[in-house]
Amino acid sequence: MIRRFYVHNYRCLENFELPISGQSSILLIGKNGSGKSTIASALEVLQKIARGTNRVSDLVSPDDFPRWYALPPMRFEIEIEVSGKICRYVVAFESTNDLTELSVSEEEFTVDGTSVYFRASQQTRGQRAMPYQQDSVAFRWNLVALPIVQEKSGKDPLLVFKQWLARMLILRPMPALIDGQSKHESLEPNVQVTNFGAWFSGIVAANPAAYRKIDEYLRPVIPDFKDIQNPLIAKDVRSLVVGFSNSQGSMSVYFEDLSDGEKCFMISALVLAANEAYGPLLCFWDEPDNYLALDEVGHFVIALRQAFEKSGGQFIATSHNPEVIRRFSDETTLLLYRKNHLEPTVVRRLGELHIAGDLVGALTRGIEP
Amino acid sequence: MSVNKNRPHLYVLPEDRANSQLANGFHLEVGHLRQMQVLEEADGWGKVLDKFKSDLVRELDANANCFTVLLIDFDGKSDRLSKAKAAIPTRLADRVFVLGVWTEPEDLKEGRTYESIGKDLATDCRDETEKAWGHELLRHNASEVGRLRTSVRPFLF
Repeated sequence: MIRRFYVHNYRCLENFELPISGQSSILLIGKNGSGKSTIASALEVLQKIARGTNRVSDLVSPDDFPRWYALPPMRFEIEIEVSGKICRYVVAFESTNDLTELSVSEEEFTVDGTSVYFRASQQTRGQRAMPYQQDSVAFRWNLVALPIVQEKSGKDPLLVFKQWLARMLILRPMPALIDGQSKHESLEPNVQVTNFGAWFSGIVAANPAAYRKIDEYLRPVIPDFKDIQNPLIAKDVRSLVVGFSNSQGSMSVYFEDLSDGEKCFMISALVLAANEAYGPLLCFWDEPDNYLALDEVGHFVIALRQAFEKSGGQFIATSHNPEVIRRFSDETTLLLYRKNHLEPTVVRRLGELHIAGDLVGALTRGIEP
Repeated sequence: MSVNKNRPHLYVLPEDRANSQLANGFHLEVGHLRQMQVLEEADGWGKVLDKFKSDLVRELDANANCFTVLLIDFDGKSDRLSKAKAAIPTRLADRVFVLGVWTEPEDLKEGRTYESIGKDLATDCRDETEKAWGHELLRHNASEVGRLRTSVRPFLF
């Protein structure tokens, strides 16, 4: 579970802390351009690092600095509690003489307050008057160290942390692009979930009992749902086929032929199965109500909230949908706000705003914290 | 599908967002999520009754599996229950329940969240206890809660 997530000088996030500690679910609301999806992008930077991307230019670019100034380093800090340990990772990037690429200015990983490795550029040491600390790793400054630093064992908190970060579910599904085919197995869906087939294969291979969770979720949602099969259709290529049956008979449909909304039910089933199989996880779902019928939205959201609350994971959603907004409380709803494109994102808990009357009506009129 | 209308199901029609959050907390503790649905808040107890009559009576008449909770503030008025009950057709009385805080939900919070209170209310229903429902601002609901427990506990938990 995330205890602290702090971002500085990344796009519209300046000195920004997401107040998520201790919350099993959070809804981010706010006007278009207020920074909701940028929070997902910031998490993606850390996820990419944990998934093995270490070249700085593949993570962030000078364009990611806020437009109005770019002097201090761009900074990401995340602190999570996983397997009873408090793991904290900090990475900061600074401009170089080569204006096309940033470099690492500071990087540190700590477990329960003890530094596992640390590095800082001379420029950072000078600017921040850091007490002297010997760099414990030496890497080129255009490379992030986390993917390369070796774990000592399978239980090393560094490995546990990297796995947790890599397996975060950051989702902005594009159902039309999801065909259900796979050539390999994966526990790491991409943002658009176009590797759904590989994710399904990975979950079921890693934990065959996870299929029970998928089935348990889908049966009440799609009453004539029968099963999901994943046959080989060519050498090393599988394609998901969804079976339906009722008293009138039965039929099978290739995954790619399901409706967009039905594909989202399938994604939700995998989210719940993944959270049970190798969680507790963090799931950030950008606008989960997209593609869903109005009468489905409330149950869709409540099911995710309930599952992540019971597992000890965290579910973060963004939405403009009134029905989603009604399914979160004043304590679990965060309003993001930006005066204009030259100002940073401000975050307020809805409960602090003391909005009188109808919340959806107030949002329709526009709330300014 | 939303609630499964072929099986017993419960609609909750809340007066306002505070009551809606209480209902959400209750919903988060329910075992069979799709047998319950929290509807859009009505914006006032009188509008709860208007909405009940215009939107839900026909559905209750058409479907014997349908149960409804009208979740209103009593505002300290001893005649609030009888006024609300008067809006419920006799033929539907055993499937409609009128519940709410004696004054208003804000007085119930005592530093807690509406959702956590709602969860405790659901736990009471599931475990047949009265820890949360026994609160001085909720105990006037005892007879309605008793009926509710008998009717909905078997299909929600």
